[in-house]
Amino acid sequence: MLESERHPNIDILSYSEVIEVEGYIGNFIVKVKRNARFVSEDLCTGCGACTEVCPIYVTNYFDENLSARKCIDIAFAQAVPAISNINREACIECFACVDACETEAIDFSQQDEIVEIEVGTIIVATGWDLYQGDDYGYGKYENVITQIQLERILAPNGPTYGHLKRPSDRKRPKKILFINCVGSRDVNKNPYCSVVCCNLSVKNSKLIKSEYPDSEIMVNYIDMRCAGKAYEEYYRRAREANILFIKGMIGKIEEDPLTKNLIVQFEPVGTDTLVTREFHMVILSSASLPSQGTNEIAQVMNIEKTSDGFLKEFHARLDPISTKVPGIFLAGSCQGQKSIDLAVSQAKGAASTASIPMGKGEYAIELIRAEPSDERCAKCYKCIDACPYKAISVNEMGNIIVDIISCRGCGTCAAICPSKAIDLAYYRDNQFTAYIDELLVIED
Amino acid sequence: MAGTIRAQYPTSLRTVLVPCTGRVGSDLVMRSFGKGADGVLIVG
Repeated sequence: MLESERHPNIDILSYSEVIEVEGYIGNFIVKVKRNARFVSEDLCTGCGACTEVCPIYVTNYFDENLSARKCIDIAFAQAVPAISNINREACIECFACVDACETEAIDFSQQDEIVEIEVGTIIVATGWDLYQGDDYGYGKYENVITQIQLERILAPNGPTYGHLKRPSDRKRPKKILFINCVGSRDVNKNPYCSVVCCNLSVKNSKLIKSEYPDSEIMVNYIDMRCAGKAYEEYYRRAREANILFIKGMIGKIEEDPLTKNLIVQFEPVGTDTLVTREFHMVILSSASLPSQGTNEIAQVMNIEKTSDGFLKEFHARLDPISTKVPGIFLAGSCQGQKSIDLAVSQAKGAASTASIPMGKGEYAIELIRAEPSDERCAKCYKCIDACPYKAISVNEMGNIIVDIISCRGCGTCAAICPSKAIDLAYYRDNQFTAYIDELLVIED
Repeated sequence: MAGTIRAQYPTSLRTVLVPCTGRVGSDLVMRSFGKGADGVLIVG
């Protein structure tokens, strides 16, 4: 990340939102709203003097709310750019930070700013969010946590500095249960498979077992899906390390109010017996959801979404990088949850696909394009709504204009036009009628 | 696809290539019926 920040050809606009995209491949005009962070990016050196004097503590979102942070703070130690941010909802405006700042970077009068940038191609990489439903007592029982919270607990810079401790009493849990497919592969919640969680359970259970060999770890699953290079071997090594993998659904989880341990009832597949076991901590492999702003970004960019809510590629198998808008590409989990190796492959693919028209400086379009005729047009403007690529607009005379770069030659406008005022080059109406008439001539 | 898997279809079927199923409007379908087609299959 630091390398990208230092690169002379890369500008990072953090803490910003894309609010409007106009134009077409080679000539996009993007409006970006730069949210006020109340700290000048030019003046702040990231020294942290403001954080020291701030009297207000808030929950640390980077540590998945397992620790506290100051109201003015840098997002996390390796954040790029390393600039403080003020949480104005929690701020009491004591202005202690303003006095502490030597470079006078803190400016409470800062407003949101809208900047316009011109770009040739766009790569959307908006990532994913975690499903946080109340399944298995999550949110109610302290020791039921998500995989991402466990990741933070196991991280050297996390809330417990990498030592495995459970949230309720900060003691090391010995009996740990992983539950897979929480909120995913369930037609009532999210019908899709979140792809990465099986391997995440294998990785974290192995990690805990190797660090603390006396741990008793059980992984509960519907199907273990460890497909991919070396993942099956990884899964086998976890089983060889005495991690118990049990197939079946969890029936009930209850908390012991005294010890805060969790009493779990489940029926392993094929045994016909209900087993009750006590665990010190339960970890949920929760579903991946499209990230929060996916709807807005799809609307702003005029790209589609699949039924699962993730952004839609041009072709699921043959063109998983491009979108239906030429010049806009997808990378990573915004297109659908995927492992790190696949996300890296797709990102590199998107970067090189985008660099082809950028390097050439030209973009070839097909000649199959919609052709409006002003004389026949009754100005009902049905074609404007019908066009899936938003290529049709109206000029000041009220006439229909087709943007031949955005148009992909599908002909939906030609099919919908009641007065046949719009036709598709090379697939004209009279071609079809002649064709149909000849085909249906009854031969004797 | 139907061709690569060697799918069979009746010899009385006539195919018309379109760039996209969106190009097929009701006028083309009705014209086919008008010219004596028993059915129209829009396949995408």
